[in-house]
Amino acid sequence: MRGKWWVPYAFLAPPLVMYSIWVLLPIFQTLYLSFTNWDGVSPSINFVGLSNFKRLFEDPYFVTSLWNNVKWLVGFTMISVPGGLGIAMFLNQKFTGSKVYKVLMYLPMTLSFVVIGQMWSWILEPQGALNSFLNLFGIHEIGWLSDPDIVTYSLIMAALWRQIPYAMVIFLAGLNQVPSELVEAAYVDGANSWQRFFHVILPMLRPATVVAITVNIIDSLRAFDIVYVMTRGGPFYSSSVMANYMYIQAFNNYQMGYGAAIAVIQFLITLGFIVIYMRNVLRREEA
Amino acid sequence: MRKFSLMVVLGMVFLSIIGVANQKLIINSYMSDPAPRKVFAELVNQFKALHPDYDVTVNTFAHEDFKTLLRTWLNSSNAPDVVTWFAGERMRYFASKGLLEPLDDVFKDNFELYFPAAFKSASEYNGHIYFVPLSWYWWGVYYRKSIFEKLGLKVPITWWQFKETCEKLKKAGYIPITIGTKYLWTAAGWFDYLDMRINGLDYHMKLTAGKIPYTDEGVKKVFEYWKQLIDAGYFISNHTSYSWQEAANFLFTGKAAMYLMGQFIRDVAPKDVVNDLGFFRFPIINGNVGLYEDTPIDGFMIPARASHKDAAKVFLKFIASKEAQEFFASHLGRLAANKSVPAPDLSARKGLDMILKSDGVMQFYDRDTNPQMATAGMNAFVEFMVYPDRVNSILKNLEMQRERIYKIHK
Amino acid sequence: MKKILFHAFAIILVTVWLFPFMVTLFTSFKTMDNLMTSRSWWLPPKVWHTENYLKAWKDANMSRYFLNTFIITIPAVLGTLFLSSLGAFALSWYRFKFSKVILMIFVGGMLVPFQMLLIPVYRLSIQLGIYNTYWGVILFHIAFQIGFCTFFLRNFMKTIPASIFDAAMIDGAKHFTIYSKIVLPLTVPALAALGILEFTWIWNDYLWSLILIQSDKYKPITLGLATLQGEWVTQWNTMAAGSIIAAVVPLVVFLMFQRYFIEGLTAGSVKG
Repeated sequence: MRGKWWVPYAFLAPPLVMYSIWVLLPIFQTLYLSFTNWDGVSPSINFVGLSNFKRLFEDPYFVTSLWNNVKWLVGFTMISVPGGLGIAMFLNQKFTGSKVYKVLMYLPMTLSFVVIGQMWSWILEPQGALNSFLNLFGIHEIGWLSDPDIVTYSLIMAALWRQIPYAMVIFLAGLNQVPSELVEAAYVDGANSWQRFFHVILPMLRPATVVAITVNIIDSLRAFDIVYVMTRGGPFYSSSVMANYMYIQAFNNYQMGYGAAIAVIQFLITLGFIVIYMRNVLRREEA
Repeated sequence: MRKFSLMVVLGMVFLSIIGVANQKLIINSYMSDPAPRKVFAELVNQFKALHPDYDVTVNTFAHEDFKTLLRTWLNSSNAPDVVTWFAGERMRYFASKGLLEPLDDVFKDNFELYFPAAFKSASEYNGHIYFVPLSWYWWGVYYRKSIFEKLGLKVPITWWQFKETCEKLKKAGYIPITIGTKYLWTAAGWFDYLDMRINGLDYHMKLTAGKIPYTDEGVKKVFEYWKQLIDAGYFISNHTSYSWQEAANFLFTGKAAMYLMGQFIRDVAPKDVVNDLGFFRFPIINGNVGLYEDTPIDGFMIPARASHKDAAKVFLKFIASKEAQEFFASHLGRLAANKSVPAPDLSARKGLDMILKSDGVMQFYDRDTNPQMATAGMNAFVEFMVYPDRVNSILKNLEMQRERIYKIHK
Repeated sequence: MKKILFHAFAIILVTVWLFPFMVTLFTSFKTMDNLMTSRSWWLPPKVWHTENYLKAWKDANMSRYFLNTFIITIPAVLGTLFLSSLGAFALSWYRFKFSKVILMIFVGGMLVPFQMLLIPVYRLSIQLGIYNTYWGVILFHIAFQIGFCTFFLRNFMKTIPASIFDAAMIDGAKHFTIYSKIVLPLTVPALAALGILEFTWIWNDYLWSLILIQSDKYKPITLGLATLQGEWVTQWNTMAAGSIIAAVVPLVVFLMFQRYFIEGLTAGSVKG
């Protein structure tokens, strides 16, 4: 559409100004704060160079948090993606009523993590539903949320409850793009179901898979709510993730500078995946 | 009573001079358990009846949330006018940052008219009063009298007797000691008592002031004694997933027999259990070391950035009064900070007696320690309770934290 | 035969999946005595006790939190939709130098970890005097969601045939008129899908109210529920009732508009 050069900028100004104030500028401010030892209280902000970052890697709790994020990442990509795909394939069959099952599976996605955390804490309580159930088979009390070696996996399990349906949605949308003639053609050629899946459907789902994987990675790296609501990262930070540790350092211990440094590390790690995602978007743009 | 009415009159005069009607007064409170919440609400109602000009709002927060939110409030431009808090180091931390309003014009010269002289040091910083005590309480080993009776157990006096009691309870199928360490501080109670009983109060105060390394032999000894109970399996399992109230439930339902806890455990006890709850002094470990106790003081402060400081001061004066303190203490069975209020009931008299017979008192680990150090310390205590064998690496890490926090350079 | 197998397996899947939800639902109707004596969480209550809901609603202040969530969510959703439709209009129908860069900034910003924004946004809100007000959260949500919504609406607006604009241009319509009278009405389906999606996201937000709100008076339901965890920690049934109350609005909205919800989610396929 033609017009004076400033016309599009006039339209963009209101959203762009708000976006800059609340999103873009803060990114740079956090970068700046990560080089200071601001405590959130003092009026003066002292520049301390890289010492926050140096301290991070000597801080056993940060290392635990980072390592836990790796577990989340593996859990999300290795379970949520294939799980979502499997359930999508299964429910995509054209039987009457399959839509009802899909809707029911979507339900966890509509819930807040606070609610999800609360629901799962009754499952995972020492005397909770899961242990009471296992007890029927003579299995002794397991500390799902209290055993430092288990707790992170319990949290990932609760998060997957919502994440798998999300991956499923992405794959169901992808499956819609697979022309049924193609699948039928494979039938005519006599391909069995597995061959059909691997050689016809899966290649067609490539874009959906890329989206599902990147989204899951980005989500796994910014996991916060469920950890904070269920364990606050405890016991003694054994279930902490970077996002949660950052919050605790910045807002509970009031080490804003140190917290900012954690956020920056988290940002840098995520950045790579953000770039992959954006390149994907750009490519779609150009196509 | 005369003093009280005089105060009311003075308050009125004060108000008429500055000529404000319906001044606002916003109080943020951590009294979130139903019993103290109710008593405090009634106390505020009494204040409202005396001062109808004030428009009082009380915001109540869950205890653990309150602790993390307070700093945010103190920094914000619309800070509340009055906040509940703890005496000692935890108050001083904020006073030192200039975030609290000095109360000298109200309490400077007459603090001791209201409160025992001993409370003054816990309420001041740099010679200024910042804190108005409301109540205080003792810690003790709470236990189920009926269980002890049933097994014919006597209240243990020494460490050796205490362990024997635990052993008998365990054999009889009870959980000897319950504890909920999800929010960490309950473990600090154990650390306080063990350190005070083994190394004495001076040592412990130096430690909480950051002057003794956590790798010191004395500290190691504390953990050796603690380990005896852990290794014998006397503590409840999975304690890291319980809050202190959830852990108390095991005591109330009769599955567990003992709980090292503050007097406020009675606030959450069901009616039919309250009278079956007794307490005894933490056992003696070394006969040559005096008997010291944890006696935390709770009260109020005014943020420096509060918008209605005059109203807040009127409220704090009301809080300091004998009537208000007596009302609060008697309904919750705590000890009033005001020295003219007697101990409200038998249990409180017993508690007061225990404190009076002690050789010295402190507040509590996380009230006497720098907040950052306290967080690190309490995490370490809980980690130790789960992995007692890691004691050396835990203490080494704690010592690293101490050196960083107190800026000690070797 | 295949059909039976499908249904059998699907029913097992859904039952297992919704197990946590059912446990919570059942718990919300039981008494504490019942819960303490029988650990059969998975069994429905013998007598359905509705008083837990009353307790959660009144004593536990859920009614206030419930109302607050509406007060925050509705303006936030409308504001986001309005502002991002402006941006999307510019990015989809004008050719100008920085259009791609600006688009990428919007896309990139929505993927940034929230932790990068926490401290500065908290400080900013205090400086602007909107800390602990509805506006603090509302404005942040609007600003933050603009990235995703602009991207989403722009993609939709691109599909509007150009001939419509040409006709309007010939008629001499002003740019804003074209936006408001022609493009917006055509964008309604996308706005609806997006609106539903944003509604559930903002309704379910926890972190930002945790940072930006302190008073009970302004707390939304997620924050309120988390507060209750501290206060009603031993009252599982009341907490369960509170959880169900917090869940019910997004659930109903989803069930009513699930087509929009899923369309929005798949078209966006970006975040959750």
